[in-house]
Amino acid sequence: MCRYLPAHAVAGDAMIGMTVADFYEKTRERLGLQTLCRSLQARSRLVTSDINRPQLALTGFVENFLWDRLQIFGETEIRYLNSLGEEALGKALSQVLGFSIPCIVVTKGLDPPPGLTELAAQNGVPLFATEMSTTPFVQEVRTFLEEAFAPSTTVHGSLVDVYGVGLLFTGRSSIGKSETALDLVERGHRLVADDIVSIRRKRSNILIGSGNELLRHCMEIRGIGIIDVQAIFGIRAIRAFKRVEVEVNLRDWDAEESYERLGLEEQQSTIVDVKIPLVAIPIFPGKNITVIAETIALNYLVKAYGYHPAARFSENLLETIRRKRTLSRLAEGDPE
Amino acid sequence: MYEAQVEVRNVPGIHARPAALLVQAASRYKSEVFLCAGELTVNAKSIMGVMMLAAETGTILSIRAEGPDERDAVDGLAAIVESGFQES
Repeated sequence: MCRYLPAHAVAGDAMIGMTVADFYEKTRERLGLQTLCRSLQARSRLVTSDINRPQLALTGFVENFLWDRLQIFGETEIRYLNSLGEEALGKALSQVLGFSIPCIVVTKGLDPPPGLTELAAQNGVPLFATEMSTTPFVQEVRTFLEEAFAPSTTVHGSLVDVYGVGLLFTGRSSIGKSETALDLVERGHRLVADDIVSIRRKRSNILIGSGNELLRHCMEIRGIGIIDVQAIFGIRAIRAFKRVEVEVNLRDWDAEESYERLGLEEQQSTIVDVKIPLVAIPIFPGKNITVIAETIALNYLVKAYGYHPAARFSENLLETIRRKRTLSRLAEGDPE
Repeated sequence: MYEAQVEVRNVPGIHARPAALLVQAASRYKSEVFLCAGELTVNAKSIMGVMMLAAETGTILSIRAEGPDERDAVDGLAAIVESGFQES
């Protein structure tokens, strides 16, 4: 059974992406969006985080027109359109607006060319304006869309910030994930989420974990019930988001299984297509998981700073063996 | 894997007490058991997870289990939900 269940299991095509109405609600303040065309079609959808500047499409070359993206009319587009005669302008606009464009944004507070608002209304294309210049607008809108379209998942486990390293504890129910997290919090580390960890991918290789709004920083400890970590330990014991850096998989001790003894080879875990180091820890009574967890975090930091203890140890061992061999060869036939 | 769907019938929905009932029942089985409601899937042996569903009356819950006693687990949990958690 897969441990990582998709958080946004898609039920049919209708669920894909984000409605333009939703996009407008969420971004109108930070992007300074104003509606120019009131025929706001709630059903138009943005399906990708990419955006498009339809310059060539406006000149009539629509062969490779990326119409399914948010279209930006910046100064280049507007100036070009304004340079056209009435007839050519109408033709250029109706050709581009003939596509099922999700929405158009006119940047820099520019006046839309005559006829654009009417055409947008006719074709049911939401039309917005912003005072922001094109480049900062593109950066802002891309940041927002990338976050909104980031692949995400939910993991059954606990996420704790240990010495600044995000450790994700996984393992079967009641193996002691929450207890380990609690013990770490007690030692001054910070809880991000217990039980249900939402993880989304940022850029191509960063995993960001967070908790659930309803659960906040509450956790269940068998025998006690639900506790509120923030109420007990205060603000310094919690954290809202944390990069997930190492997965610590707690396992029942199995004499048959062989566990890592050297640390020369690293196991990896894949979460939403990002690989992170995986450390499997066998559990048995009397084992101090907290100290081991702290050591995992510190060892990760030591490696991140360029020192690999296991590799260094292995090199030293090889060097010692080589030296012994040379010495014994020198000593051969020359006893002192 | 075995799966069944049930409707939450008790009026208050799956609040804390019914959630605890479900989790205690689920924990008695060896199989891995999951509850899905809408876009959310949670481990049925986790009280926080089950409460996170915040399932109201009328919600269609899908109960999914995988393991040696998957059928018993699904049927057992389905019976508890269908009984309305011995509530109104």
